[in-house]
Order: sequence, then structure tokens, then C-alpha cells
Amino acid sequence: MDDSEMIMEEELTFWGKHSFLLLIGISITIALVLVVISMELYASSGAAQLDLSRPGYSAVTSQAVTTDRDFENYPSVGQLNTASISEFKMLYDKQATKAKAVDAFSGDPLDPVVLEISAVESL
Amino acid sequence: MKILRSPIIVGLLTATFGVAIAFGIANAQNPPITEAQITRIRSNCVSAKNTFTQLHASDALLRVNRGQIYESMTTKLMSRFNSRAESNHLGASSLVSYTQNYSSALAAFRKDYQAYEEQLSNALSIDCTKEPVEFYDSVASSRIKRTQVHVDVVILHRYIDDYESAFDDFAANFAKAQTGGE
Repeated sequence: MDDSEMIMEEELTFWGKHSFLLLIGISITIALVLVVISMELYASSGAAQLDLSRPGYSAVTSQAVTTDRDFENYPSVGQLNTASISEFKMLYDKQATKAKAVDAFSGDPLDPVVLEISAVESL
Repeated sequence: MKILRSPIIVGLLTATFGVAIAFGIANAQNPPITEAQITRIRSNCVSAKNTFTQLHASDALLRVNRGQIYESMTTKLMSRFNSRAESNHLGASSLVSYTQNYSSALAAFRKDYQAYEEQLSNALSIDCTKEPVEFYDSVASSRIKRTQVHVDVVILHRYIDDYESAFDDFAANFAKAQTGGE
């Protein structure tokens, strides 16, 4: 080691000597901050409620509709004439019937009487 | 001065009685949980939680599948037809208005389902043998929120019908204009 190299090493600060360690530390901190932000967004945006890969949903994951090829896009451009209006009417009627086919979230499965946690015993 | 004070006193007394009556009604509607009921909750809470777990999963599936159809109704049909009608310079203001109403109802459905799911998850996380009263309250709150989600679904169905009626009017007017133009 010559004299110039010895002088440079003496001039370096603690973090200057451990710059690689500093890089790793900063990288881990940034990664942690980004993970916290993304988890917060995942929970607050409602994406968590649509994520059937979460634990507890394994029984129903296979029943989720992953493609809706059956649901055709109506062209948003083009001449509007009797034929295109009839086409829309046909598409709309078909999908409206499907949309209204299920009275979702009806019934009262959380009724304390059904859950047998009400004040009065069910008969 | 006395004349000025009397309406204030009357107002304060009315407010006090109003609050007292409201508390009375609230207590009458939600009677306090008795010891017998707490015992009942403790003994049946495991089976109740099993029901909860199944409901949690089936409602999530319902939200995903129904939500997809409700989304597509606006993105693939309503909005697309509206922009096509607008680009053809055909008045479709009522259709646009119903689409906006539908989109607002859809946003409410998403928000209310999220609130319901969070509440249900909260109820599932409570140890019902140790905290039966909190568990019962959480179930009651989940029940109210689920009812709200159902109300949102009914509103969405109504807007689907409303849009269809508006579309029928639009199609009738269009046909009339075509016949008149010939």
C-alpha cells in the first residue's frame, strides 16, 4: 500500500467505510415503507374483499367467475340505426336478466334467533 | 329580557326531553343482555362462528361474481351505448342520467360491502367465550351492514330497469324520427 492510499483510507468517515452496509440498510427501509403503503392501499381500496386467494376462501375460489366472455362489449362507435338499436336491446335484455336473476345478500342469516344467540330460545 | 329568555328555556327543556325520550326508545329496542343470554351465547358461539365462516366465504364469492356483472352492465353496455348515441348527435340525456345514478349506486354497493366485510371479519376475530357481549354487538352490527348491502342490490336492480325503460323511450323516439324523416 502506497502513501496516497493510506491517506485516503484515514480521511474516510465511519459511513464512508461502511457504504455497502448503508446501501443495504436504506434498501431494506425503502422496501419496508413501500410494503406498508401497498398493504394500506390493498386494505383501504376494497381489493382485499375481492381477493379470493386469501386464507379462508379456498372452498369457494374455484367457483369464482374468472372470464366473462359471454358478456359482449357493445361497440361505442359507429352509425346508430334500427339494427344497432335492436342489437343493443337484445344484449341489454340478456345481461339485465342475468344481473337480476339473483337477489344477492337477501335473507337474514345473521339473525340472532338463527344463530341461537338470542335472548329467547327458538322453538 | 324575560320574554327573550323564555324561548331559550323552552328550547332547552324540549331538547332535554327529546334526548331522554330517544334514549328510552333506544333502550326499549335494544334491551340489555341478560346473564342467561350471555350463557347462551357462550354455549352456542362456536356453531355461530362456523356459520359465520361459511357466510364470510359465500358472501365474498357472491360479491366477486355479482360485482363483475354489475360492473359490466355499465362499462360494457350503458356507457358504450351512451357515447355512441352522443357521437351520433342523438339526445341521450336521460340515459346518461340513469347511468350516473347506476354508477353512484354501484359505488355505494362497493363501499357498503367493504364495511360489512370488515365488520364480519371483526366479529370473527372476537373470542366469543371470553367476550360474549362484544361478540353479540358485532353480530348485530354485521347484520345491519348486510341488510344495507341488500338494499344497494335492490337499488341497482331498479336502475337496470329504469335504464331499460329510458332506452325503450329512446328507441321509440328514434323509430318515430326515422319514420317521420322518410
